Amino acid sequence: MHEYSLAHSLLQGLLEHLEREPVSGRVRKVHVRQGELLILSQQALKEAWHILTERTPLAGSELEIERVEVRVRCRSCGYRGPVPRVEGEGWHFQAPVLSCPRCGGRVEIEEGRELAIIALTVEEAPAGEVDPCDS
Amino acid sequence: MHEIRTGFGDVLKRQLELAERNYELLADHGVRAVNVMGAIGSGKTTLILRLAERLRARGLRVGAIAGDVAGDDDFKKFQAAGLPSALINTEDQCHLDPHRVRHALQEFPLAEVDVLFVENVGNLVCPADFPLGCEQEVVVISVTEGDDMVRKHPKIFAQTDVVTINKLDLAEVVGVNPQRLVEDYRRVNPHGRVVLTDAKSGRGVEELLSALGLAE
Repeated sequence: MHEYSLAHSLLQGLLEHLEREPVSGRVRKVHVRQGELLILSQQALKEAWHILTERTPLAGSELEIERVEVRVRCRSCGYRGPVPRVEGEGWHFQAPVLSCPRCGGRVEIEEGRELAIIALTVEEAPAGEVDPCDS
Repeated sequence: MHEIRTGFGDVLKRQLELAERNYELLADHGVRAVNVMGAIGSGKTTLILRLAERLRARGLRVGAIAGDVAGDDDFKKFQAAGLPSALINTEDQCHLDPHRVRHALQEFPLAEVDVLFVENVGNLVCPADFPLGCEQEVVVISVTEGDDMVRKHPKIFAQTDVVTINKLDLAEVVGVNPQRLVEDYRRVNPHGRVVLTDAKSGRGVEELLSALGLAE
Protein backbone atom coordinates (compact mmCIF):
# COMPACT_ATOMS: atom_id res chain seq x y z
CA MET A 1 0.00 0.00 0.00
CA HIS A 2 3.03 2.28 0.03
CA GLU A 3 3.93 1.77 -3.62
CA TYR A 4 3.10 5.40 -4.47
CA SER A 5 5.45 6.87 -1.90
CA LEU A 6 8.26 4.54 -2.98
CA ALA A 7 7.60 5.16 -6.70
CA HIS A 8 7.70 8.87 -5.92
CA SER A 9 11.08 8.50 -4.18
CA LEU A 10 12.44 6.50 -7.13
CA LEU A 11 11.19 9.15 -9.56
CA GLN A 12 12.61 12.09 -7.57
CA GLY A 13 15.97 10.33 -7.37
CA LEU A 14 16.03 9.59 -11.07
CA LEU A 15 14.99 13.12 -12.11
CA GLU A 16 17.74 14.59 -9.95
CA HIS A 17 20.22 12.10 -11.39
CA LEU A 18 19.23 13.01 -14.97
CA GLU A 19 19.68 16.69 -14.22
CA ARG A 20 23.26 16.01 -13.14
CA GLU A 21 23.97 13.43 -15.85
CA PRO A 22 21.58 13.96 -18.78
CA VAL A 23 21.03 11.23 -21.36
CA SER A 24 20.55 11.84 -25.07
CA GLY A 25 17.25 10.35 -26.05
CA ARG A 26 14.18 8.96 -24.37
CA VAL A 27 14.30 6.69 -21.37
CA ARG A 28 12.24 3.61 -22.30
CA LYS A 29 12.96 1.29 -19.43
CA VAL A 30 14.00 1.85 -15.87
CA HIS A 31 15.56 -1.28 -14.36
CA VAL A 32 14.88 -1.72 -10.67
CA ARG A 33 16.06 -4.28 -8.12
CA GLN A 34 13.49 -5.13 -5.47
CA GLY A 35 14.44 -7.12 -2.40
CA GLU A 36 12.06 -9.99 -1.67
CA LEU A 37 11.56 -8.89 1.93
CA LEU A 38 9.78 -5.74 0.81
CA ILE A 39 6.04 -6.09 0.97
CA LEU A 40 5.32 -4.46 -2.37
CA SER A 41 3.04 -5.22 -5.26
CA GLN A 42 5.05 -4.99 -8.48
CA GLN A 43 1.86 -4.29 -10.41
CA ALA A 44 0.95 -1.40 -8.13
CA LEU A 45 4.49 -0.03 -8.31
CA LYS A 46 4.34 -0.07 -12.12
CA GLU A 47 0.96 1.65 -12.15
CA ALA A 48 2.18 4.27 -9.69
CA TRP A 49 5.20 4.88 -11.92
CA HIS A 50 2.98 5.26 -14.99
CA ILE A 51 0.82 7.89 -13.27
CA LEU A 52 3.57 9.78 -11.46
CA THR A 53 5.76 10.12 -14.58
CA GLU A 54 3.02 11.87 -16.57
CA ARG A 55 4.25 15.29 -17.70
CA THR A 56 7.82 14.50 -16.72
CA PRO A 57 10.70 13.67 -19.09
CA LEU A 58 10.18 10.05 -18.01
CA ALA A 59 6.61 9.82 -19.33
CA GLY A 60 6.14 6.61 -21.29
CA SER A 61 8.97 4.79 -19.56
CA GLU A 62 8.34 1.45 -17.88
CA LEU A 63 9.70 -0.16 -14.79
CA GLU A 64 11.50 -3.49 -15.24
CA ILE A 65 11.57 -5.04 -11.82
CA GLU A 66 14.02 -7.75 -10.84
CA ARG A 67 13.29 -9.58 -7.60
CA VAL A 68 16.32 -10.10 -5.38
CA GLU A 69 16.43 -13.04 -2.99
CA VAL A 70 17.68 -12.72 0.55
CA ARG A 71 21.40 -13.15 1.13
CA VAL A 72 22.81 -13.01 4.62
CA ARG A 73 26.08 -12.87 6.53
CA CYS A 74 26.40 -14.91 9.70
CA ARG A 75 27.73 -13.05 12.72
CA SER A 76 29.16 -16.26 14.22
CA CYS A 77 30.70 -18.38 11.45
CA GLY A 78 30.96 -15.85 8.64
CA TYR A 79 28.72 -17.78 6.21
CA ARG A 80 27.60 -15.63 3.28
CA GLY A 81 24.85 -16.70 0.93
CA PRO A 82 21.18 -17.63 0.59
CA VAL A 83 18.95 -19.05 3.32
CA PRO A 84 16.38 -21.88 3.32
CA ARG A 85 12.67 -21.14 3.14
CA VAL A 86 9.60 -22.14 5.07
CA GLU A 87 7.12 -23.68 2.68
CA GLY A 88 3.97 -25.68 3.01
CA GLU A 89 0.24 -25.51 3.14
CA GLY A 90 -1.07 -22.30 4.64
CA TRP A 91 2.13 -20.32 4.15
CA HIS A 92 1.28 -17.47 1.86
CA PHE A 93 4.83 -16.64 0.89
CA GLN A 94 7.94 -18.78 0.76
CA ALA A 95 9.26 -17.05 3.82
CA PRO A 96 13.04 -16.91 4.14
CA VAL A 97 14.34 -18.14 7.51
CA LEU A 98 16.64 -15.45 8.85
CA SER A 99 19.14 -17.72 10.53
CA CYS A 100 22.47 -19.19 9.44
CA PRO A 101 21.95 -22.42 7.46
CA ARG A 102 25.45 -23.60 8.44
CA CYS A 103 25.66 -22.99 12.21
CA GLY A 104 22.22 -21.65 13.18
CA GLY A 105 23.71 -18.31 14.27
CA ARG A 106 22.22 -14.84 14.00
CA VAL A 107 22.56 -13.22 10.59
CA GLU A 108 22.67 -9.80 9.04
CA ILE A 109 20.73 -9.18 5.84
CA GLU A 110 23.09 -8.26 3.01
CA GLU A 111 20.59 -8.39 0.16
CA GLY A 112 16.82 -8.62 0.02
CA ARG A 113 15.73 -5.28 1.42
CA GLU A 114 16.72 -2.95 -1.41
CA LEU A 115 14.72 -0.92 -3.90
CA ALA A 116 17.13 0.69 -6.31
CA ILE A 117 17.40 1.81 -9.92
CA ILE A 118 20.33 -0.03 -11.47
CA ALA A 119 20.09 0.81 -15.18
CA LEU A 120 18.22 2.73 -17.85
CA THR A 121 17.40 1.69 -21.39
CA VAL A 122 17.59 4.77 -23.60
CA GLU A 123 16.35 5.18 -27.17
CA GLU A 124 18.39 7.73 -29.07
CA ALA A 125 16.33 10.36 -30.85
CA PRO A 126 16.83 10.16 -34.67
CA ALA A 127 18.84 13.13 -35.97
CA GLY A 128 16.68 16.18 -36.62
CA GLU A 129 13.69 15.02 -34.62
CA VAL A 130 12.52 17.49 -32.05
CA ASP A 131 11.98 16.09 -28.61
CA PRO A 132 8.38 17.01 -27.70
CA CYS A 133 9.53 17.70 -24.16
CA ASP A 134 11.77 20.54 -25.37
CA SER A 135 9.10 22.31 -27.40
CA MET B 1 18.43 1.43 -27.74
CA HIS B 2 21.28 1.27 -25.32
CA GLU B 3 21.59 0.56 -21.67
CA ILE B 4 23.14 2.86 -19.12
CA ARG B 5 24.17 1.39 -15.80
CA THR B 6 23.50 3.61 -12.85
CA GLY B 7 24.58 3.00 -9.32
CA PHE B 8 22.37 5.40 -7.44
CA GLY B 9 19.25 5.81 -5.51
CA ASP B 10 18.41 2.89 -3.27
CA VAL B 11 15.31 4.55 -1.85
CA LEU B 12 15.23 2.24 1.14
CA LYS B 13 18.83 2.98 1.98
CA ARG B 14 17.70 6.59 2.20
CA GLN B 15 15.02 5.56 4.72
CA LEU B 16 17.66 3.67 6.66
CA GLU B 17 19.92 6.73 6.77
CA LEU B 18 17.06 8.83 8.12
CA ALA B 19 16.34 6.13 10.70
CA GLU B 20 19.99 6.12 11.76
CA ARG B 21 19.81 9.87 12.39
CA ASN B 22 16.79 9.27 14.65
CA TYR B 23 18.73 6.53 16.43
CA GLU B 24 21.58 8.95 17.09
CA LEU B 25 19.25 11.70 18.29
CA LEU B 26 17.62 9.27 20.74
CA ALA B 27 21.01 7.94 21.88
CA ASP B 28 22.30 11.50 22.45
CA HIS B 29 19.45 11.98 24.93
CA GLY B 30 19.90 8.55 26.48
CA VAL B 31 16.40 7.56 25.37
CA ARG B 32 15.62 3.90 24.70
CA ALA B 33 12.89 3.71 22.06
CA VAL B 34 10.58 0.86 21.05
CA ASN B 35 8.69 0.69 17.74
CA VAL B 36 5.38 -1.03 18.51
CA MET B 37 3.78 -2.55 15.40
CA GLY B 38 0.68 -4.67 14.89
CA ALA B 39 -2.77 -4.83 13.37
CA ILE B 40 -5.63 -2.49 14.25
CA GLY B 41 -7.14 -3.61 17.54
CA SER B 42 -4.32 -5.97 18.51
CA GLY B 43 -3.90 -4.11 21.81
CA LYS B 44 -0.83 -1.96 21.14
CA THR B 45 -2.05 1.05 23.14
CA THR B 46 -3.15 -0.97 26.19
CA LEU B 47 0.13 -2.89 26.22
CA ILE B 48 2.12 0.35 26.07
CA LEU B 49 0.12 1.72 29.03
CA ARG B 50 0.79 -1.46 31.04
CA LEU B 51 4.49 -1.45 30.19
CA ALA B 52 4.66 2.25 31.13
CA GLU B 53 3.05 1.59 34.54
CA ARG B 54 5.69 -0.99 35.40
CA LEU B 55 8.59 1.11 34.16
CA ARG B 56 7.36 4.13 36.12
CA ALA B 57 7.03 2.00 39.24
CA ARG B 58 10.78 1.38 38.84
CA GLY B 59 11.39 5.12 38.72
CA LEU B 60 11.89 5.38 34.94
CA ARG B 61 10.36 8.23 32.96
CA VAL B 62 8.26 7.04 30.02
CA GLY B 63 6.93 8.87 26.95
CA ALA B 64 4.84 7.80 23.98
CA ILE B 65 4.24 8.82 20.39
CA ALA B 66 0.89 7.83 18.89
CA GLY B 67 0.93 7.15 15.15
CA ASP B 68 -2.48 7.06 13.54
CA VAL B 69 -3.93 7.72 10.12
CA ALA B 70 -6.28 10.26 11.70
CA GLY B 71 -7.72 11.09 15.10
CA ASP B 72 -6.24 11.48 18.55
CA ASP B 73 -7.84 8.63 20.56
CA ASP B 74 -4.58 6.86 21.45
CA PHE B 75 -2.79 10.15 22.04
CA LYS B 76 -5.49 11.14 24.55
CA LYS B 77 -5.05 7.83 26.38
CA PHE B 78 -1.32 8.50 26.72
CA GLN B 79 -2.05 12.03 27.94
CA ALA B 80 -4.62 10.78 30.44
CA ALA B 81 -1.99 8.40 31.82
CA GLY B 82 0.29 11.38 32.34
CA LEU B 83 2.90 10.35 29.78
CA PRO B 84 4.75 13.06 27.87
CA SER B 85 3.31 12.32 24.43
CA ALA B 86 3.02 13.40 20.82
CA LEU B 87 0.69 12.62 17.96
CA ILE B 88 1.62 11.85 14.37
CA ASN B 89 -1.34 11.83 12.00
CA THR B 90 -0.11 10.29 8.77
CA GLU B 91 -3.07 11.56 6.72
CA ASP B 92 -3.88 8.21 5.17
CA GLN B 93 -0.32 6.95 4.91
CA CYS B 94 -0.43 3.35 6.10
CA HIS B 95 2.75 3.43 8.20
CA LEU B 96 5.08 5.73 10.13
CA ASP B 97 8.26 6.69 8.32
CA PRO B 98 11.57 7.93 9.74
CA HIS B 99 11.07 11.43 8.35
CA ARG B 100 7.79 12.03 10.19
CA VAL B 101 9.21 10.49 13.34
CA ARG B 102 12.20 12.82 13.09
CA HIS B 103 9.90 15.85 13.16
CA ALA B 104 8.02 14.46 16.15
CA LEU B 105 11.29 13.76 17.99
CA GLN B 106 12.55 17.28 17.37
CA GLU B 107 9.48 18.67 19.14
CA PHE B 108 9.46 16.03 21.88
CA PRO B 109 10.79 16.74 25.41
CA LEU B 110 13.42 13.98 25.05
CA ALA B 111 15.31 15.20 28.11
CA GLU B 112 12.26 14.28 30.21
CA VAL B 113 12.06 10.58 29.29
CA ASP B 114 14.19 7.45 29.62
CA VAL B 115 11.99 5.14 27.54
CA LEU B 116 9.89 6.14 24.54
CA PHE B 117 7.21 3.96 22.93
CA VAL B 118 6.42 4.74 19.30
CA GLU B 119 3.06 3.24 18.43
CA ASN B 120 2.96 2.60 14.70
CA VAL B 121 -0.14 2.84 12.51
CA GLY B 122 -2.35 -0.24 12.97
CA ASN B 123 -1.25 -2.36 10.02
CA LEU B 124 0.63 -5.64 9.77
CA VAL B 125 2.04 -5.03 6.30
CA CYS B 126 3.58 -1.66 5.54
CA PRO B 127 5.40 -0.68 8.78
CA ALA B 128 7.77 -3.62 8.19
CA ASP B 129 9.40 -1.78 5.30
CA PHE B 130 10.20 1.42 7.22
CA PRO B 131 12.79 1.42 10.00
CA LEU B 132 12.24 4.33 12.41
CA GLY B 133 15.51 4.32 14.33
CA CYS B 134 14.18 2.71 17.52
CA GLU B 135 16.57 0.30 19.28
CA GLN B 136 13.81 -2.26 19.74
CA GLU B 137 10.89 -3.41 17.63
CA VAL B 138 7.95 -5.52 18.69
CA VAL B 139 4.98 -6.88 16.76
CA VAL B 140 1.73 -7.33 18.69
CA ILE B 141 -0.70 -10.00 17.49
CA SER B 142 -3.95 -10.76 19.27
CA VAL B 143 -5.39 -14.26 19.31
CA THR B 144 -8.63 -12.80 17.93
CA GLU B 145 -6.87 -12.29 14.58
CA GLY B 146 -6.72 -16.06 14.12
CA ASP B 147 -3.96 -18.62 14.52
CA ASP B 148 -2.73 -18.24 10.91
CA MET B 149 -1.45 -14.66 11.29
CA VAL B 150 2.23 -15.59 11.11
CA ARG B 151 1.69 -17.72 8.00
CA LYS B 152 -0.17 -14.89 6.33
CA HIS B 153 2.49 -12.28 7.07
CA PRO B 154 5.78 -14.13 7.50
CA LYS B 155 7.94 -11.28 6.25
CA ILE B 156 7.26 -8.91 9.15
CA PHE B 157 7.74 -11.74 11.67
CA ALA B 158 10.95 -13.00 10.07
CA GLN B 159 12.43 -9.53 10.53
CA THR B 160 11.18 -8.68 14.03
CA ASP B 161 12.97 -10.11 17.05
CA VAL B 162 10.25 -9.64 19.67
CA VAL B 163 6.64 -10.75 19.20
CA THR B 164 3.83 -10.70 21.70
CA ILE B 165 0.66 -12.74 21.39
CA ASN B 166 -1.94 -10.67 23.20
CA LYS B 167 -5.52 -11.14 24.48
CA LEU B 168 -4.55 -14.58 25.71
CA ASP B 169 -7.67 -14.60 27.91
CA LEU B 170 -9.80 -14.79 24.74
CA ALA B 171 -7.96 -17.70 23.09
CA GLU B 172 -10.42 -20.29 24.25
CA VAL B 173 -13.48 -18.20 23.42
CA VAL B 174 -12.34 -17.67 19.82
CA GLY B 175 -11.00 -21.23 19.49
CA VAL B 176 -7.42 -20.26 18.73
CA ASN B 177 -4.38 -22.22 19.84
CA PRO B 178 -1.65 -19.66 20.66
CA GLN B 179 0.99 -22.40 20.43
CA ARG B 180 0.44 -22.59 16.68
CA LEU B 181 1.38 -18.90 16.41
CA VAL B 182 4.43 -19.50 18.61
CA GLU B 183 5.59 -22.47 16.51
CA ASP B 184 5.08 -20.62 13.22
CA TYR B 185 7.05 -17.65 14.52
CA ARG B 186 9.92 -19.90 15.65
CA ARG B 187 10.07 -21.38 12.15
CA VAL B 188 10.60 -18.03 10.41
CA ASN B 189 12.65 -16.46 13.20
CA PRO B 190 14.53 -19.04 15.29
CA HIS B 191 16.32 -16.25 17.22
CA GLY B 192 13.26 -14.20 18.12
CA ARG B 193 11.55 -13.99 21.51
CA VAL B 194 7.85 -14.55 21.81
CA VAL B 195 5.79 -13.59 24.85
CA LEU B 196 2.18 -14.45 25.63
CA THR B 197 0.30 -11.54 27.17
CA ASP B 198 -3.08 -10.42 28.36
CA ALA B 199 -2.63 -6.68 28.63
CA LYS B 200 -5.92 -6.18 30.45
CA SER B 201 -4.95 -8.31 33.46
CA GLY B 202 -1.24 -7.56 33.11
CA ARG B 203 -0.30 -11.19 32.53
CA GLY B 204 3.01 -11.55 30.67
CA VAL B 205 3.79 -7.83 30.76
CA GLU B 206 6.83 -8.33 32.99
CA GLU B 207 8.17 -10.96 30.59
CA LEU B 208 7.64 -8.61 27.67
CA LEU B 209 9.66 -5.93 29.46
CA SER B 210 12.46 -8.43 29.84
CA ALA B 211 12.24 -9.51 26.16
CA LEU B 212 12.58 -5.83 25.22
CA GLY B 213 15.64 -5.52 27.46
CA LEU B 214 13.83 -3.01 29.70
CA ALA B 215 13.45 -5.14 32.83
CA GLU B 216 16.69 -4.15 34.56
